[in-house]
Amino acid sequence: MSAHLPTGAEPLPDLLAAAGVARRQLFLASLCSSFAAIAAIGLLAVSGWFLTSAALAGSAGLAAAAAFNYLVPSAAIRLLAIVRTLSRYGERLLSHKVALEGMAQLRGSLFDKLAAQDSRHAPDTSPGEASTRLIDDVEALEDLVIRQPARQAAIVSALVSLALVAFGGGRALVFLSVVMAALPVLFRRISERLTRGPAEEAAAALGHLRIRYVELAGCRAEIAAYGLADEALVELEPIALRLDKARADLFRAEALQGALLSIYGGAAVAGILLLARESAPMVALAMLATVSAVEAMGGLSRSLLRRASLDAGLRRIAALNALDGCLHEPVIAAPSPLTLGTRRFSAGARVALTGPSGSGKTRILLSLAGMQPSSAPLRIGEAPLEGLSPEHLKSRFALSPQDAPMLIGTVADNLRLARPGVTESDMWAALKVAQLDRRIARSEAGLDTPVDEGGGLLSGGERKRLSIARALLAGRPWLMLDEPSEGLDAATEAALVESLRGWLDRTGNGLILVSHRKVPLALCEEEVEVAGLSQASSHVANAGTRKDSGARKDADTG
Amino acid sequence: MAIENRDVRFAPVKTSAVIGPLVVALIVAPASWVASAIMLGTLLPFTLGMILAGTASRRAAERQLAALAALSGLFVDRVTHLPLIRHFGAEARIGRQVRTATGEVARRTISVLRTAFLSNAVLEFFSALSIALVAVYCGFSLLGLLPFPAPEKLTLVPAFFVLAMAPEFYLPMRRLAAAYHEKQLGEAAEQALAPFASTPAPDPQAAAAFDGLRVQHLVLSFPGLSVGPLDFALERCDLAALSGATGSGKTSTLAAIAGQLVPASGCIGSLSGEALPHGGVAWAAQRPLLIAGTLARNLALAAPCASEADILAVARRVGLGDVLARRGGLAMPIDHAGSGLSGGERRRIGLARAILSGRPLILCDEPTADLDAESAAAVIALLKELSAERCILVATHDPALIRASRMEIAL
Repeated sequence: MSAHLPTGAEPLPDLLAAAGVARRQLFLASLCSSFAAIAAIGLLAVSGWFLTSAALAGSAGLAAAAAFNYLVPSAAIRLLAIVRTLSRYGERLLSHKVALEGMAQLRGSLFDKLAAQDSRHAPDTSPGEASTRLIDDVEALEDLVIRQPARQAAIVSALVSLALVAFGGGRALVFLSVVMAALPVLFRRISERLTRGPAEEAAAALGHLRIRYVELAGCRAEIAAYGLADEALVELEPIALRLDKARADLFRAEALQGALLSIYGGAAVAGILLLARESAPMVALAMLATVSAVEAMGGLSRSLLRRASLDAGLRRIAALNALDGCLHEPVIAAPSPLTLGTRRFSAGARVALTGPSGSGKTRILLSLAGMQPSSAPLRIGEAPLEGLSPEHLKSRFALSPQDAPMLIGTVADNLRLARPGVTESDMWAALKVAQLDRRIARSEAGLDTPVDEGGGLLSGGERKRLSIARALLAGRPWLMLDEPSEGLDAATEAALVESLRGWLDRTGNGLILVSHRKVPLALCEEEVEVAGLSQASSHVANAGTRKDSGARKDADTG
Repeated sequence: MAIENRDVRFAPVKTSAVIGPLVVALIVAPASWVASAIMLGTLLPFTLGMILAGTASRRAAERQLAALAALSGLFVDRVTHLPLIRHFGAEARIGRQVRTATGEVARRTISVLRTAFLSNAVLEFFSALSIALVAVYCGFSLLGLLPFPAPEKLTLVPAFFVLAMAPEFYLPMRRLAAAYHEKQLGEAAEQALAPFASTPAPDPQAAAAFDGLRVQHLVLSFPGLSVGPLDFALERCDLAALSGATGSGKTSTLAAIAGQLVPASGCIGSLSGEALPHGGVAWAAQRPLLIAGTLARNLALAAPCASEADILAVARRVGLGDVLARRGGLAMPIDHAGSGLSGGERRRIGLARAILSGRPLILCDEPTADLDAESAAAVIALLKELSAERCILVATHDPALIRASRMEIAL
């Protein structure tokens, strides 16, 4: 098949291999498709020949009519009708099955490859864009696979038609060959002028629209309160208009293409009628075969073009597919000291990072977690952070991020994320430390209480504690908490801090804490001023005891 | 998307599917009325077949749509959270989960398609049968060998014409069947969207001027959350704090007052017992909506008629003066992601928007959360000052803000 694809089609075979598209089933689908196409042509051609011969025999008198063997052609006509129906059903089912199963496989493998990247250098994939790549682009590829048997059948049916036209004489055959060979070239020329621009524009506008929509959906409450739905729609409108216009252009161009193809087909039939020199039944057969041939070639040209317009999407998936998807073995790390700037902390230390909003406290936690490139001179043991593999960082740090991100799923799903083999009793123990056990126990669904992007049934503070429980479960030597008591009332905050203290005492794990609230800061014995860290690595970090930390919270950057 | 595909592809094809065959039958009739009758005759079993296959596949289409939506959501969710997943070393486990989900969708889609293709096969069969019957009839008629007295005299040219027209008879319906899958997905999507289409209409009766907020016996009841009964009253100019343990339903109570949640029972109205004026409630969000444009436009989103001087005054008042000086005043461009703005600055944009809206009742969701001590103090001072001219209800657990309020409503 690849020989018939336009140039620049390199990514396809690799992607199909990655998708594990079942070649045997695809071949069967192509076979069915070819049968269906041949049966369709045969049905028309045999009918035409039968009619004309019958008319000639009928007019030649009763004897000729009686001698005319009508059994074979009329049985052939019925057989062809049945073959066509069955084989088309088979083709459709098989090609869809192959494509859908293959694409499910491809989506999974693309996800694995993305997941195997280092967060510090991974391409920044926004939610809208991710769905475009993993859903829309793969869907386009799926479409391509589904149509592949039909493309092969189109070639077969064009060849069969040519063979039938040969009954109309050599001149007709040469004429039709030229007409058919010219069709894809002409079609491509015309389409490139008419449809390529709108098709690309439509795809771009759709991706853009999706991204913006996801963002706006996040501000539901405010949009509802001020009746800003119109404003939000105005935001979307230019993109939607762009999409509509591109689509309208595309439909117009396609309709025009269809019309031109019909005219071309008519001209081809007329040419055959003029050129064929054989008996009337043969000419009739040749003419009907010509109709099928032009139709088949038109379909083939159209699908080749569609293939070309999908190139951008295919290249995008190919880029993802080219990523190295090898997962590295987890590392078992011995507890090692941590150096922040010039301050060295032994394993098990409890350190508070301080500084005004925006000074980069969260950034340091994210760097240690391997989620962002490092901005400050940080070392683990003697090794600078940048030189360490993500596996080394993962094995040492467990972070509860500021925004307490939760996977869509249940409480248990989110806790299981922490490490493999988390048991229910582990979960309850961690929830107890995070002061969330009673809340979850009260909930009807227990550990299966749903959690979604908006928190589901959990409030902001509850999500936060769930995120803490998750970090505790990970069992890494350093626990990192970013604003752990944000969103909590004073009583819950005090209880949480006390139980965290107990947990740290029991496990001997270290703590790195960012908080602007006083109560959690009491957990820490040492503190590091972040501003000094990131500004001058050679300078002695501006570190001190916690007593003067209040005075240092000056510059309000909001 | 599914609905659009249905409208674009299915609707026009449907019309032509009804009219097309009749037109073809009419055209064929003068050449051979028998052939025309044969075509129409095959139409009946075909329609029956379509109906049977159609009902079966509708249910499957609904199931598939639910699975597709879940898959789409799961993908976006898992890819968004990849840094977190990598951090906990859960790549392989989550990867398996994603594979299971994609496999499930493929399985369901195939089961929908199986029925769709079956209805297609029924159609194909009758279309082929129609052509075959017409061809055989015409052939025998031309031969003069019909097993019954010839109902009409057929010659080659009309016979050929009839044969050429036969495939056209079923063509519109074949296109219809091809579009049928889109119709089913579209209908399932429409059903899934139906609950969202019916937003409560604003109270038509114009309410009296706002003279305070009165909440009586308010009870909210959702799975996993129950609030109330709550009873409280706020003056026309007031500052009250809705406090309570985390998860006790503070934000939900605000949403109920803003008319965005339907309470299980109780009433929310003005002090004199009227309904709250339509468009009388401002919402200062923790993460306000930002749209691409100037800062001025963003501030005045809820008050499009505000003059530049008003906007500037309010911006200074909420403490955006520094940003204005730093980044070029009200004309400073803002993109929809709010690049270059801190969390506190966004919070202030939300507050400025609420003030500019001129609405008498302002609901603030955690106005001081995530702010450092000094920023929080500034916001509290601002709310206190505002309470001399507006009625403000904050949801908070910040003791400083609760102390600054006239009244604490504990949940």
